[in-house]
Amino acid sequence: MNTGTDIGGWSVVIAVLGAALRVSTPYLFVSLGETITELSGRINLGLEGTLIMGAVSGYAISYATGSPWLGVLGAGATGAAFGLLHAGLCSLPRVNDIAVGVALFILGTGLGIYLGKPLIHPVAPRLPDIHFGAWSNLPSLRAALDINALFIIGVVLAPIMLWMLRNTRWGLILRTVGDSADAARALGYSINGVRAIATALGGFFAGIGGAFLSLYYPGSWTEGLSSGQGLMAVTLVIFARWNPVNCVYAALLFGGATAVGPALQAIGYGGDYYLFGAAPYVLTLILLIRSSSTRHRMFGAPSELTFNK
Amino acid sequence: MTPTLASAVTQVPLVEAVGMSKRFGSLLALDDVSLRLPAGSFHALLGENGAGKSTLVKCMMGYHRPDRGHLSLDGVRRDIHNPRQALDAGIGLVYQHFTLVPNMTAAENIVLGRSPIARVIDWAAERAQIEAFQRDMPFHVDLGARISGLAAGEKQKLEILKQLYLGRRVLILDEPTSVLTPAEADQVLGLLRDMTRERTLSVVLITHKFREVIAFAREVTVLRAGRAAGSGSVGELKQADLAAMMFGSGAVFASAARDKASTPGDIRLEVTAMTALNDKGVVACDEVSLAVRSGEILGIAGVAGNGQRELVEVLAGQREAQAGELRVMGERYDRSRKQMRVRGVHLLTEEPLDNGCVRGMSVAENLSFRNFDEPPQTVFGCFLRGSALRRHAAALIKRYGIRTASPDSRIDTLSGGNVQRTVLARELSGAVSVLIAQNPCVGLDFAATSEIRAQMMAARNAGSAILLFSEDLDELLELADRIGVMFEGAIVYETPRATADVQTIGLHMASRQPAQEAA
Amino acid sequence: MGAAYWRGLEAMTLTVAAVLAALLLFGIFVAFDGLNPVDVYRVLYLGAFGTSFSIESTLTRAAPLMLTALCVAIPARAGLLIIGGEGALVLGGITAVLAGVALAGSPPGIAIPLILVAGAAGGAAWIAIPAGLRQFRGVNETISTLLFNYIAIALLNHLVSGPMRDYAQTLKPTSWPIEPAFMIGTIPGTNVNWGLACGIVACLVAYVALRRTTLGFAMGILGGNLRAAQMTGLPVARLVLIAAALGGAAAGLAGAVEIVAVHGAASVSLVVGYGYAGILVAFIARQNPLAVIPVALLVGGISASGGLLQRRFAMPDAATTVLEGCIFVVVLASNALYGRIRLLQPRAVAPA
Repeated sequence: MNTGTDIGGWSVVIAVLGAALRVSTPYLFVSLGETITELSGRINLGLEGTLIMGAVSGYAISYATGSPWLGVLGAGATGAAFGLLHAGLCSLPRVNDIAVGVALFILGTGLGIYLGKPLIHPVAPRLPDIHFGAWSNLPSLRAALDINALFIIGVVLAPIMLWMLRNTRWGLILRTVGDSADAARALGYSINGVRAIATALGGFFAGIGGAFLSLYYPGSWTEGLSSGQGLMAVTLVIFARWNPVNCVYAALLFGGATAVGPALQAIGYGGDYYLFGAAPYVLTLILLIRSSSTRHRMFGAPSELTFNK
Repeated sequence: MTPTLASAVTQVPLVEAVGMSKRFGSLLALDDVSLRLPAGSFHALLGENGAGKSTLVKCMMGYHRPDRGHLSLDGVRRDIHNPRQALDAGIGLVYQHFTLVPNMTAAENIVLGRSPIARVIDWAAERAQIEAFQRDMPFHVDLGARISGLAAGEKQKLEILKQLYLGRRVLILDEPTSVLTPAEADQVLGLLRDMTRERTLSVVLITHKFREVIAFAREVTVLRAGRAAGSGSVGELKQADLAAMMFGSGAVFASAARDKASTPGDIRLEVTAMTALNDKGVVACDEVSLAVRSGEILGIAGVAGNGQRELVEVLAGQREAQAGELRVMGERYDRSRKQMRVRGVHLLTEEPLDNGCVRGMSVAENLSFRNFDEPPQTVFGCFLRGSALRRHAAALIKRYGIRTASPDSRIDTLSGGNVQRTVLARELSGAVSVLIAQNPCVGLDFAATSEIRAQMMAARNAGSAILLFSEDLDELLELADRIGVMFEGAIVYETPRATADVQTIGLHMASRQPAQEAA
Repeated sequence: MGAAYWRGLEAMTLTVAAVLAALLLFGIFVAFDGLNPVDVYRVLYLGAFGTSFSIESTLTRAAPLMLTALCVAIPARAGLLIIGGEGALVLGGITAVLAGVALAGSPPGIAIPLILVAGAAGGAAWIAIPAGLRQFRGVNETISTLLFNYIAIALLNHLVSGPMRDYAQTLKPTSWPIEPAFMIGTIPGTNVNWGLACGIVACLVAYVALRRTTLGFAMGILGGNLRAAQMTGLPVARLVLIAAALGGAAAGLAGAVEIVAVHGAASVSLVVGYGYAGILVAFIARQNPLAVIPVALLVGGISASGGLLQRRFAMPDAATTVLEGCIFVVVLASNALYGRIRLLQPRAVAPA
C-alpha cells in the first residue's frame, strides 16, 4: 500500500478518524432512539438485545430480498416490536423498568443468536458507501472517507429531531410526559401511550443500528457482533444531555475510543490489545461518574426518569 | 383594572353540579352534593381535610367519574369524562401541587395548555400574544424562565395566568394560597374577585381558612364528611355559623390541656448558624439559629419553601449542612443512631408513610425501627428475637389505638391517621428528650388531629423540648409557648405566646423588614 | 394464619404459574420452528432431571448459580440493583489463581480455604467499588456494574494472554495453573464437586443474615425507604458497602470454586454467563436466599438440557437462553398480579 507519499504517523490518525466515523454509526442511531425514549421518562436497558435482534433480522431480510435497505427497514421494525414489548411490560403496575431492560437484554440476545444460526455462512448484500474521498490520491485517506449512507442519514436526522422536539406538538407532549406525569395527566394525555410510542421509536432506531453492524461493519452475522454498544448508548444520551445534536458528537467520541485499539494494532503496536478494547467501557464509566452527583439531580434530566433515585 | 380576556368567545356560563356522589371502595367520599354557580360568582368551598372538597371538584373536572350526578352548563346537561373535556368547556382547575413542567419555559407551559396545540408552533407569534395579554395583569411572569428556577409563588401566578389566557371562564382554585404569603394571597384573590364583579369570570375557591372566605367570597358552601352541611351568602353568616357547619354544632375546639405551671428548663436543642443547600444547590437555610428548652414547645411558622423542609432534613440526618453547629443537651449531635437513642431525640415528619416508614414492611416491623437492635429484641446483640418484637408491637398497638387487621399487615394498608398513630407510637413511646415535628397533622381527620396534639402537649408537660414546624398558624397558636417565623432561610421574628399577634406574624412571613404599621 | 403465610403462598403460586406460562410460550416458539412442543418438554426434563447423569450435570451448574444469584439478592435487600455477578466471578477467578500460585507448596488444608477467601475478596472489591461510586458520586449501580462486567472480561483476557500466561498451554490463552493438590474433588459417590456445598451453605447463611439479624433488618429498612433509614440514624454508607461486598464475595467465591473444582487455571472458560443467569435466578426467587436454592436447580436444569436439545433437535444451544429470557420476562410481568387475585389474599380479620 506504499505510494510515493509516505505520511507516516498521520496514517494512524486518518485511520482512526475513518474508523471513528464508521464505528460511531451504531452508537449514533441507538443514542438518537434512546434520547426519545428517555425524554418520555423511561430508560431502556434492553437495547443491547434490540441491537442484536436488529442485526439478525436485517441480515436475514437483506439476504432473502437482496436489498440491504429492506433489511434496514426490517431491522427497524423488529426493534420497534421489542420496544413495544418493553413499554408493555413497564406499563404494568409494580414492574421495575430497569429489571425489564435486563430481562429483554437476555431475551433479545438469546433469541438473536438462536434465530441467527442459519445465517452464519450465507452472505447478504451490504449497505453502500459514499466515496467522499475520491478526490484524494492517498489510499488511506480515500479509505477513511468512505462514509456509509446510514451515518449521513443519522447526522441529518439529529438536527431535525432537535427542531421537532422544540417546535412541534409531538415534541412538546413527549417532553411533558417525561418531565411531569402530573401535568400530562391533567392535560389528558395517556402517559403509557406516549411512552409506548417513544420506546417503540427508540427500538426502531436501535434496530437500525444493529442492521449497520451486520450489513456494513463488521458486515456479517456472528455471535459476538455487539458487545455493550446498547448499554453504552444509554450513558451517551446522558452525556449528550438529551440533545440529539450532541449525540452526534458523543457518538463520534465513542467511535474514536473504540477505533484506537485496532488502529494501533494495524500499525504494528500489538501489545495491550485487550486493554485498548476496554477503552470505550472505561470512557463510558468516566463520563457516567462525571455526569452524576449525589446532591442534585442532573441538570436538564427528564424528571420522570427512575434513573435518579 | 381588570384585563380583557384574549379569547372571550362565550359568556361565562351558569355552572351547576347536580347531586354528585362518589364512592372509593368502602369510603363514601361524596354524598349527593350540589353546587350552583351563576355567572360572576365567587363561591367558597369550605371544609376540613377529608370533607370531600377535592373529590367534588375532581368530579366536576372529569378527573373522576361520579357514581351519580352530572354537570350542567347554562341548563344543558354535560357529561364530562376526562379533564380535556372540562377544559374545552371553559372550566379550569388550578392545582395545589403544580402541574407545570420543570424543564420547560413558562411560554412552553402556556402553549402546552392550548387545545388543540398547533402541529408546528410559531414561537414568535405565541410569545407576542402572551406578552400582550400579560400587560393588563398586575403580576408578570418572565416567559423565558424555566419552571425549575421559579419560586412557589411565581409558579402559582403562572398557573392562574395560564388558565385565564387559555380562555377558561370558570376557575376552580384548590387551596391556592397555601404557598403564598398573606400579601401575595390578597393580591391574587383580590384580582380574581374584581374579575368576578365584572362578570368575566366565575371562581370556586377551596379553602379551610375563614379569613379568605369572609374577605373575598360572596357565597359559601360547607362540606362535612362528604355531604353539604350548609350554604349561604357570606355577608349573612358569622364565623361561628361556619364553624358549626364545618364541625357540627356543639363542637368545641378541643384545646390541649396546657400545664400552666411548667416553666422551661435547660436548653435541650440548640442550632447555631446552620447553613444548608436545597436540592438545586441554592442556599435554603441561611445561618439559622434557634434554641428549645425542656418543657416548652417552640413553634416555627412560615410559608412552605422558606427552608423549613431543609432544616428538618438536617436535623433528621437526611441532609448535610454546609456550616453550623447542632447541639443536644449541650453536646455536639451527629444524628447517629447511638446518639439519637442516648439523647432521646425523636422525629414526627410530615407525610409519615413516605418519610418515616417502609411500605412493604408490616406494622410490627415499622414499630420496631427504633429498638430492633437492642435487647430484649436481640439475642447476642445481632440476632432478632421475633417474639420480643411482636410483644412490643402488640403493646404499642393497644396503647395507641392503632386500627389494623393484624400486626403483620403491611403498613400501607392502614389509613393516614393510623399510619401517623403508628409513627407517633414509635417516636413518643420511649423517653423523649427532644421532639422535632413537622406538619404532623396534615391530611388527618379531626379526631386523629386532636389526639396527636394532645400527645405532644403531654410530652411537653412531662419535660420534653419540642420543636414544631407548622404551616397552620392556628395549630401553632394553640400549642406553642413561643412562636418564631422562618422566612427566606432564617428565623426573622420570635414572640412568646402571650403577646403573639397574627398580623405581625403574617407580616414577618412576607418580608424581612416589614414596614412599621399601626396595629 | 398470619399475613406472612399468605404472602409466601401468593409468591409461590404466582412464581410457579409464571414459570409454567413461560414454558407454554416457549412451546409455541418451538412449534413455529417445526418441532413438537411435547417432545421438547420431554427432552428438557430428561436433560435436567431424567438420568443420574443429567441430575449431576444440573447440580454442577446450579452451584455457581446459587452464588451469583446472591450477588444480586444480597445488595437488593439494601435497595441496590446490582447485575455485576459475571465480573465479580471473573475477578474471583483471577485472585484465586494469584493466591494459589503464591501459596504453592503449602499444605492443601490451609491453601484451599485461603484461595477461596482470596476469590471472595476479589469479587467483593469488584462490587464494592461501584457501590462506593453510587454512595459517594450518585452513579447508578446497575449501569456501572454492567460496565464493570465488560471491563473485568477485558482484564481477564489481557492477563491470561500476557502477564499471567502459561505458555505451555497451546489450546487457548490460559493463566498459570494452581497445584493439582489444591483442587477439590467431588462429593463421594457422585460426580458433583464440593462447590455445591459452598453454594447451599452460602444461601443458608445469607438467609439467616438477611432475615434474622439486626444487620439484615437494617439493610431492609434502607432498601425499603432511604429516608426512613436516615431518620432512624442508620449508617447508610456502611450498610450499602457491606451489602455490596457480601454480594460480590459470593460471586467471587463462585469464581474461586470454578478454579479449584473445575479448571485449575483462569481462562476465557470462566466467562459462560453464570453471572447473567444468576440475575434471573435472583429475580425468580424474589431476592429470597432460601428460594434461590430450588430456583438455581431449575435454571441449572434448563441449562444442562441444552446439550441434549442440541443433539436431539439440532437446536442451537441459545435455545436455553431464549427459555430463560422468557421466564424472566413472564416472572417480571407477574409482579403486576400481586394483591390482585382474591383467592391469594389474607382472609380479612375484623379489626379490634
